[in-house]
Amino acid sequence: MTRYQVDKVLRQVINDDTALEAFQRDAAAFLEGRDLSDEERKGLIDIDYPALYKLGAHPFILSGFTMRVWPADRRGLQAEYQERIAPHGYPDFET
Amino acid sequence: MAELVEIIGITHNPYLPGMIAGPDPEPGICQAEADYARMRQKMADARPDVLVVIASDHLNQWFMDNMPPFLIGKAPRTHGPAPQEVRTFRLTPYEADVDIEVAKGLLRESSRFGVDFAFSDEFFIDHAFTVPLGFVRPEMDIPIVPIFTNVMAPPIPPADRFYQVGQAIRRMIEVLPSGRRIGILSSGHLAVEVGGPKSSSYSADVEFDERMMKLIAAGDAETVVKEATWERMLQAGNVTPGFSNYVLLMGLAHGRAPDAVGLHFPKKTAAVPYMAWDLTQGDAR
Repeated sequence: MTRYQVDKVLRQVINDDTALEAFQRDAAAFLEGRDLSDEERKGLIDIDYPALYKLGAHPFILSGFTMRVWPADRRGLQAEYQERIAPHGYPDFET
Repeated sequence: MAELVEIIGITHNPYLPGMIAGPDPEPGICQAEADYARMRQKMADARPDVLVVIASDHLNQWFMDNMPPFLIGKAPRTHGPAPQEVRTFRLTPYEADVDIEVAKGLLRESSRFGVDFAFSDEFFIDHAFTVPLGFVRPEMDIPIVPIFTNVMAPPIPPADRFYQVGQAIRRMIEVLPSGRRIGILSSGHLAVEVGGPKSSSYSADVEFDERMMKLIAAGDAETVVKEATWERMLQAGNVTPGFSNYVLLMGLAHGRAPDAVGLHFPKKTAAVPYMAWDLTQGDAR
């Protein structure tokens, strides 16, 4: 497991519409074969952005990824996002 | 010999063009528009033949699989911004020829002045380039040479290295054989947070912004370099390391105080700075 592998998923889903569709269709299948810890894999599948933030996912692309894949109403998501990651402060995000 | 004719540093805030164009912009946004119109006129008055544009890709193309600290782009033509930036921020596209002769010339001279630039023959320019170009040269009629810096993926080069690279680029330009008039346009920013606990809708650290712009205005490069540590910039906001490009500009300007400098705080977005050094032929300043 590495932060780089998490960041790679985040960026791919942001940049590539085909990857986005595959992730939204079946995230577990999309992530199969990638070198991720169980915690990272679950965090990505569940779009558990506070957990991924705490693990040191790059904050710039984690927020972009979350906005892109969020399955529910995005109104208020930005404020909720800030509130839920705040307890984790500023984790190191160096890969 | 090439001649450096103007150095300008502004922001690449992707919300700013929309805020300026929107209905009933607030006074801070009107001021930003006026400031950047002034920067546009300054660059036009300098009559550059080519714009060397120094900015930082936002992990749109350079990524941790292969991250160059400093890279010169030398494809014949380039365009941007990234598709997801057009989608997210509704940004206007920008296209430009690249001055290959200047790009190759800079690359060939770079090692002599202590910098080993990476290069790429295939790239695009993201909003860090297209937003300032849209403000300063919306005509898209001057070739550019993009220089990419890494401020996004730690460990990034420290502030004193950005200063040194600025000094080196100045010397590289001065030994270019072409008679081109070269303008420098760079984008960076002050305290900004994206995807962090602080709001992204205002300056993330007003004290940092005011302090750094005061030091830049005074030409106090030594203190800027000393204080612009990764830790201090991160404390100011998790994307604040983009400030490093302004440190590079100070190196390009021999550490001299800018001829024009300003800072404004609009109500609903990050601070809007500008800095400009006016250079003329024979001026070794």
